[in-house]
Amino acid sequence: MIGPEIDTAARLGSVSAGNALELRGVTRLFGALAAIADVTLTIRPGERRAVLGSNGAGKTTLFNCITGDVMPTSGTIRLFGEDVTRFPPHERIRRGLRRTYQISLLFSGLSVADNVYLACRGVSRWRFSLLRPRRGDPLLARADELIEAVHLTAARDRLVSELSYGQQRQLEIALALAGAPRLILFDEPAAGLSPTERRELVEILTNLPRHIGFIIIEHDMDVALRVAESVSMMHNGRVFKEGTPAEIENDPEVQALYLGGAHG
Amino acid sequence: MQGIVQRQPLLSLSVIVVVAFLLWLILAPWPPGLTAVMGPKRVFLAAVLSGITLGALYFLVASGFTLIFGLMRNVNLAHGSLYLLGGYLGFEIADRTGAWLLALPVVFVVVALLGVVLQWAVFRRMEGEELRQTLVTIGLSIVIADILLWIWGGQSYQILTPDFLAGPMELPLVTAVRSDGTAVYLRYPRVRMWILFAAIVVGVAMWLVMTRTRIGMLIRAGVDDREMLAASGLPIQVVFVLVFAFGAGLAGVAGVVGGTFQSLSPGEDTRFLLASLVVVIVGGMGSIPGAALGALIIGLAEQIGLVYAPTYSVVFTFLIMAAVLAFRPQGLLGARR
Amino acid sequence: MARLEEARLPSAGPTPGAEAGLVLRIPAAVWAVGALLLLMPAFANNFVLFQVFGWTFILGMIALSLMFLAGYGGMVSLIQMTVAGLAGYMVAILGSSGTEEVSLGLAWWVTIPAAIIIATLFGTVVGALAVRTEGIYTIMITLAIAAAFFYFTRQNYTIFNGYNGFSLVVPPRLFGIDWRQPVAFYYLTLGMALLSYGAVIYVARSPFGLALQGVRDNARRMAALGYNVVWHRIFAYTFAAVIAAFAGILLVWQNAQIAPGTAGIPAVIDILVIAVVGGLRHPIGPFIGAFIYVLLSAFAPDVLTAFGLAPDRFKLLVGLGFLAVVYFSPDGVLGLWARAMAARRKRTDPLTGLPR
Repeated sequence: MIGPEIDTAARLGSVSAGNALELRGVTRLFGALAAIADVTLTIRPGERRAVLGSNGAGKTTLFNCITGDVMPTSGTIRLFGEDVTRFPPHERIRRGLRRTYQISLLFSGLSVADNVYLACRGVSRWRFSLLRPRRGDPLLARADELIEAVHLTAARDRLVSELSYGQQRQLEIALALAGAPRLILFDEPAAGLSPTERRELVEILTNLPRHIGFIIIEHDMDVALRVAESVSMMHNGRVFKEGTPAEIENDPEVQALYLGGAHG
Repeated sequence: MQGIVQRQPLLSLSVIVVVAFLLWLILAPWPPGLTAVMGPKRVFLAAVLSGITLGALYFLVASGFTLIFGLMRNVNLAHGSLYLLGGYLGFEIADRTGAWLLALPVVFVVVALLGVVLQWAVFRRMEGEELRQTLVTIGLSIVIADILLWIWGGQSYQILTPDFLAGPMELPLVTAVRSDGTAVYLRYPRVRMWILFAAIVVGVAMWLVMTRTRIGMLIRAGVDDREMLAASGLPIQVVFVLVFAFGAGLAGVAGVVGGTFQSLSPGEDTRFLLASLVVVIVGGMGSIPGAALGALIIGLAEQIGLVYAPTYSVVFTFLIMAAVLAFRPQGLLGARR
Repeated sequence: MARLEEARLPSAGPTPGAEAGLVLRIPAAVWAVGALLLLMPAFANNFVLFQVFGWTFILGMIALSLMFLAGYGGMVSLIQMTVAGLAGYMVAILGSSGTEEVSLGLAWWVTIPAAIIIATLFGTVVGALAVRTEGIYTIMITLAIAAAFFYFTRQNYTIFNGYNGFSLVVPPRLFGIDWRQPVAFYYLTLGMALLSYGAVIYVARSPFGLALQGVRDNARRMAALGYNVVWHRIFAYTFAAVIAAFAGILLVWQNAQIAPGTAGIPAVIDILVIAVVGGLRHPIGPFIGAFIYVLLSAFAPDVLTAFGLAPDRFKLLVGLGFLAVVYFSPDGVLGLWARAMAARRKRTDPLTGLPR
């Protein structure tokens, strides 16, 4: 479904001996408020981690630090062995990182096909090219494959502004799958989806190739615990517990904090 | 302030050194070698003071502009036209009544009312469409400029300085030392010093309103985050109208002032619009202290450049603007976005 | 009343690679206009060819360069007229003119490329200064730089000859043709306009053009897809500057002179007016806007006199017209056209296909 591209990420090798992501002591202050404090997190290549916590726990800030939208006040971030703490977002993307957003960030003036094509192009060479792609361009084919993977082939030529909410969320995921991602951050991908759409989402996530790891932020425990192998719980900007989905589900401290959450 | 000094010790040191040097240049009698290189100190002092007083005028115009943009995100490209309109109206009033002082409040009210009409009837309907509002201001500037040309023609007008402001005054700045040891002091037009004084008063008053009154707090909050202000349930449209009216009125009054110590003619609207743009780019959007700092820098650069390198003074202004854009795009005192 | 920000922006068309049937898909109307333009010299007089159409194509090209940045890039840049003016000045200064103390008298195959390169560099530098700030600042910054250029050319005599500018700047006599003759000039400007138009249409669907539109729609997401947003924007300025530079050379040839006022603030604003009135959604818009502007400037004095106003009140008419357009149809003439088409479609019932 999604094959390796000839691009920077693939050249670096998708199997690394080290960790996919390493956060050490990452803190982000906004004035006197610590949105995240002293977060230390390790993700192995291909690992599927869920980051859970109530609103304001710092999950989105964590994502923003990892992608580079926001610089941490202190601490280091290593991506596939490289220190990327001060790198701008596009440099991290070119090293295999991807992200989806809580509120879909799509290109409203362009069609679905154009959106996905741009995503495929972003990490390849010749992204500055003034020449139009020829008929047999491999990236065009790749874009079509991705569109099929997220079940959007019928809406291929429609403008994003004409899509339904659920379709926009599907497109959001397609954009993250473009190129050769090695680690994807999914920010509340299930938000606003119907039960059927949620099942499709779980299917897409569990069927991702094994070499692609991801971190998922979700309020829907159902979705999160079904796709994740390990869970980190955040509260007040700190990671206070880590474990397997089963352990977290049955942990008394977690249950106390989330008073009878989604599971009893 | 301490934070900046701590974080950028080298920069702070260089700024202090430059300022100290400038102060020495201004206050101390010059050694003969310096006079040979730079010409008479009197010329330098006159240039510096002209720069400061021109900066005062720029501040009056630019502060309204920066408030309007900072709060309503409306780049009011008709601001220069409001300046010129105020100037011409002031000329008519001063000319017919002979009372210069009367022109100031009357012009303020008239131009402010025009501002009220514009904000309430036109811009309010385009709430949130910043580009469209700016295009409207462009259209307005074209229309107003042509109407002004129609009514007042292409010649230069000069508002006569009232008697109580006319003539030179002696300032406590030494230009030279006579052979018998007594100092020669600088003589400078009184009206310019009064304008500088008035601009400082207006600036301080604005700063006080912005920092110590409730409405000032609303405006600052709105400059920071307009959505929050809208969500607060307060009548922001009223605030917008007040701010636009005030900014417009101030520009009009600046026109009277400028018409007094400079002159009025078609093209002055473009000049003061450009000055407002540059001042605000350099000083930072939505910041009154920024407008003051920017106006001072640009005024000085322009006047000193005019005296010492006449055909390139515009280049100095442009270089300052380019440097700020390159190294601190939000402006010297602007909030980092 | 349409919102300018929501006006449909130029974008989706045939997906990359689907170029077959290109010839068949061009509507008949376009062929008719094309034929008309090619055969124009057969029935139009010199004034129409040189003054009306020549100027339309030149202004259209400069407005096109603005439209490229504003429509595809979301950056309303007022520096395009200045870029054109600089190119024109460079041809006058490096080549031959009536002011022999300043002009260098170099050959055309040096002056023309040099002028293009210098003007493009200038446009790129301005872009570099303007792109790192928020969108709404672009108008301010580019206007300020354009004004600085105007004042500088006016006060500097060693390079720009101040108020006087340069006169007697004419095109070189290539292939034995005097390119300033109406028919030759008409075809020259028509050809350049078609080239620029074609270039913009083509590049808009290239990876660069698509990426630029992506940057317009969502710069944050583009960065998150691996694009260097700042460089994309700067390069867009470079591309736009090339078009404006060519137009500037044609302009100085048309007037046979250049002065500070050529790229003065009124001229700079006029380009914006032309682009907005024509419509920012498609590259044909700037040329429509230019045509309207040129017709207005040619015939407005007569209209004004008929109404008892002085013929000088042309600017007032332009300003009022512009205000009307921004108020009622912010996406310009093209927007009016699109809404008229949509209204016509709505008059048939979507279910039965019969007229309502």
